[in-house]
Amino acid sequence: MIQTVHFAIREVKLGFRNPWAYSFMGLFTLFMLCLLLINAQGYVQGYSGITGTTLNLILYLLPLMSLLLGSFSLTAEREDGSWELLSTYPISTWSFIIGKYIGLSVVLLVIVSIGFGAASILGLAAGSGFGLQTYLQLLTFSTSVALFFLAIALLVGTLAKNRWQALTVGVSIWFFAIIGWPPLLIATLGFLPYPMIKPAVTFLTFLNPAELSRLFTVVKLGGGAILGPEYYEWIKWIKQPAGSIGFIAMAAAWIGTVITAAQLIWERRRSRA
Amino acid sequence: MRVIQKLMYAFILLAISTLIGVGIVKAEGTPSPLQVLINEAHVGDTLHIPAGTYKGPIVIDKPLQLVAESGAGATISNTSNEPALQIKANNVSIIGLTILDETIKKQPAILVQANDVLLDDLQIRTGSFGIIMRKANNGKVLNTTIDWAGVVQDRPLKLSDKGNGIDLYDSHGNYFAGNTISSMHDGIYMENSDRNLIEDNQFELLRYGVHCMYTKGTVIRNNIGNLNITGAMIMAVRDVEVSGNQFTKQSENVNSQGILLFDAHHTIISGNHVEGNRVGLYVEQSTKNKIVDNAVIGNFIGIQLLDAEDNDIQENQFVGNVASAEARNSIGNLLESNYWDSFQGIDTDGDGKSETTYAINPFFQSLVKARPAFQLFFQSPGMVFLEDLYQSDRQSWSTDTSPLMQPSGKLKFVLPTQTLQNSAVVGAGLLIVALYFMYLGVRKR
Repeated sequence: MIQTVHFAIREVKLGFRNPWAYSFMGLFTLFMLCLLLINAQGYVQGYSGITGTTLNLILYLLPLMSLLLGSFSLTAEREDGSWELLSTYPISTWSFIIGKYIGLSVVLLVIVSIGFGAASILGLAAGSGFGLQTYLQLLTFSTSVALFFLAIALLVGTLAKNRWQALTVGVSIWFFAIIGWPPLLIATLGFLPYPMIKPAVTFLTFLNPAELSRLFTVVKLGGGAILGPEYYEWIKWIKQPAGSIGFIAMAAAWIGTVITAAQLIWERRRSRA
Repeated sequence: MRVIQKLMYAFILLAISTLIGVGIVKAEGTPSPLQVLINEAHVGDTLHIPAGTYKGPIVIDKPLQLVAESGAGATISNTSNEPALQIKANNVSIIGLTILDETIKKQPAILVQANDVLLDDLQIRTGSFGIIMRKANNGKVLNTTIDWAGVVQDRPLKLSDKGNGIDLYDSHGNYFAGNTISSMHDGIYMENSDRNLIEDNQFELLRYGVHCMYTKGTVIRNNIGNLNITGAMIMAVRDVEVSGNQFTKQSENVNSQGILLFDAHHTIISGNHVEGNRVGLYVEQSTKNKIVDNAVIGNFIGIQLLDAEDNDIQENQFVGNVASAEARNSIGNLLESNYWDSFQGIDTDGDGKSETTYAINPFFQSLVKARPAFQLFFQSPGMVFLEDLYQSDRQSWSTDTSPLMQPSGKLKFVLPTQTLQNSAVVGAGLLIVALYFMYLGVRKR
C-alpha cells in the first residue's frame, strides 16, 4: 500500500517534469477555448450542436493524450534502465503498476481540469459556455475517457519494446477506436444476418470505451431518443440513476481487467529476467 | 377457517356494493335539477347557473345559453358512462362552467353534434375525451382548459387509455383559440374536417399537440407546444397553414419532432420556432410545400427530408442543431437562402450569400434505413469522418444553392437559460486544485 503511494507520488513528480504533459495541457486548453469561439450563441444545455462538437473534439484529443503519456511512461522505465534498478528491490509489481496508474491519472485529470477550468472562467467573461449540469456531464465524460484509455496505455506500454513501438500501437488503437470504428463495424457486420447486427453492435460497443462513454453521455444529456427505437430499453435504463451505477461498475471492471492483464505480463517478464 | 372468514367478508362487500350500485341507477332515473331547468326553458333563453355542483349527464336539445354566474364555481359532475354534457341543438352557448367527468369510458366530457355552438371559458377534467365534435360546423371553443383526470386501477396508465382533448370528425369551419390542453392523448385531433382555425392555444405533455388527418384548409397559427411527443402532426393533408407556432423540448420519444409533415401537399410552414426537439422539421413523402422563415434551433436534427420532393425550403435559420440536416431520396427540392451554422461558405460578390453550396449528405439516413442498428453511430467522430469521404452522386443530393453567410435578424432562444456562473465557480475550483497538484509535482524537496 505504502509502496503504491510512493510510486504514485513519484509518477506525479515525473509527470509534471515531462514537457509532453505541458504541451498536451496547452493543446487541450486551446481546444476548449476554441469551442467557446465557435459557440457564439451564448449558453448551452443538453444535447445540442455544441455539446455534440465538444464530445467529438474531446474524443479526438483525450484518448491519444492518455495513450501516449501512459505508454511512454512505462517504456521509459525500461529504456532508461530505472526498472532494472527498481526490480532489485523487494517491491511488488502490483504496487508499481497501480502506483503508475494513479499517478498518471492525477496528471491527466489535472490537464483536463485546467482545460475545463479555463474554459468556464473565460466563458463567463465572454458570455458563452455550458450550464452547470451539462458542464459536469462533459467533465465526467472526459474523466472516464482519460481513465479508460490510460488503462489501455499501461497495457500498450507493457507490451511495447520501446517508445517507437508504443507510439505506433497507441496511434493505431486510437484510430480504430475513434475514427475507424463505424467504418469497421459497418463493413464487417454488414455480412451478418439482419437479426444479429444489433446484438453484435451492442456487444462490440462494450469493448470500445470511447463509444461506451460517448453513448452514455449522449443519453445522460437527454439525447437518447436520437439513437432510435432499437435501443429503447437500454436508453430507458441508462437514464435512471441505476444506469450511472451500472456505467461506473462497467468502467471499474473494464479498467480492472486491463490493468490486471498489464500486471500479469509485467510480472512474467520480471520473473524471467 | 381464515379462508372462510375472508370469503364471508368478500361476500358482504359484494352485497353492499351491489346495493349501492342499484341506488345510483335509481338516482339516475330522476333527472338532475339542471336538466329540469333546461327542459323547462324556452328556445333562446339564457340560463344563469348559480354556484354549486350539478349532476350529469345533461342533454341540451334546443338553442340555449348556459352562463355560470360570475365568480361562482358552477360544476357539472358526471359519474355515468354518458357524456357529462351533450349538445344536440344548433346555437347553444356554454360559458364559464366546470365539467368534472373522471370516469374512464368511451363517451367524452362534452359531445357536440350541432352547428354554431360556442364553448367559452370552461374547465374540463376528464377520464376520456375532452370535447368530441361530430358533424359540428362553425363552432367555437375558446379559453377552455382540458386536463386529464382519469385514474386506472391495478396497472400503470397507458397513453392509449387517454382520449383526445378536442376530437373532430366531419366538422368544418370551427375556431379554437386560447385553449390550454395538457396530459391528454392528442391536443386537437381533426379527421375529415376542413377549414378549421387553431390559434393561440397551448399544448403540453400530449402525444401530438395538433393532429391533422385528411384535412384541407386547416390553419394552425401562433400556438405553443412543449414536452409533447410531436408538436404538429400534419398527415394526409392539402393546403394547410402552420405559422408562427413555437414547439419546444419534444425530444424524449424516439419518434419525437417539432413539426411533422407526412403525405402533406401544398402546405405552408412559415415563421415557426422549433427548439430543443429530436427532429425540428420532419418532412416525409410530402410534395410542393413551402417551408420558409422558420427558426430551427438546438434540435438533434434540424430538418429531415425523406422521399420529399419539389418543396421550397427558403430563408430558414438552422442554428445549434447536432446535425443541421439529413436527407434521403429527396429530389427536386428548392433550397435557397437558408442559414446553416454548421456550414462555412465563401461569399465572393458580397451579397451575403455563399457561392459555394451546402449539400445534405444522404449517407447516414440511407445506412440506418437498411440497418437501423447503426443509428448508434449518429454524429460519432468516425461517422462524421465517413460521411465526409462519401461523395458519390452528389448532384442528386438536396442542396442549398445559396446559403446565407450570417443569420438574418436576431435569433431568439426560448428555452429557459441557466446562469454560467455556477459552472465558472466549479471551474475555478478545478483550476485551483489542479494548480496545487502541479505545484506539489514540480516543487523541489
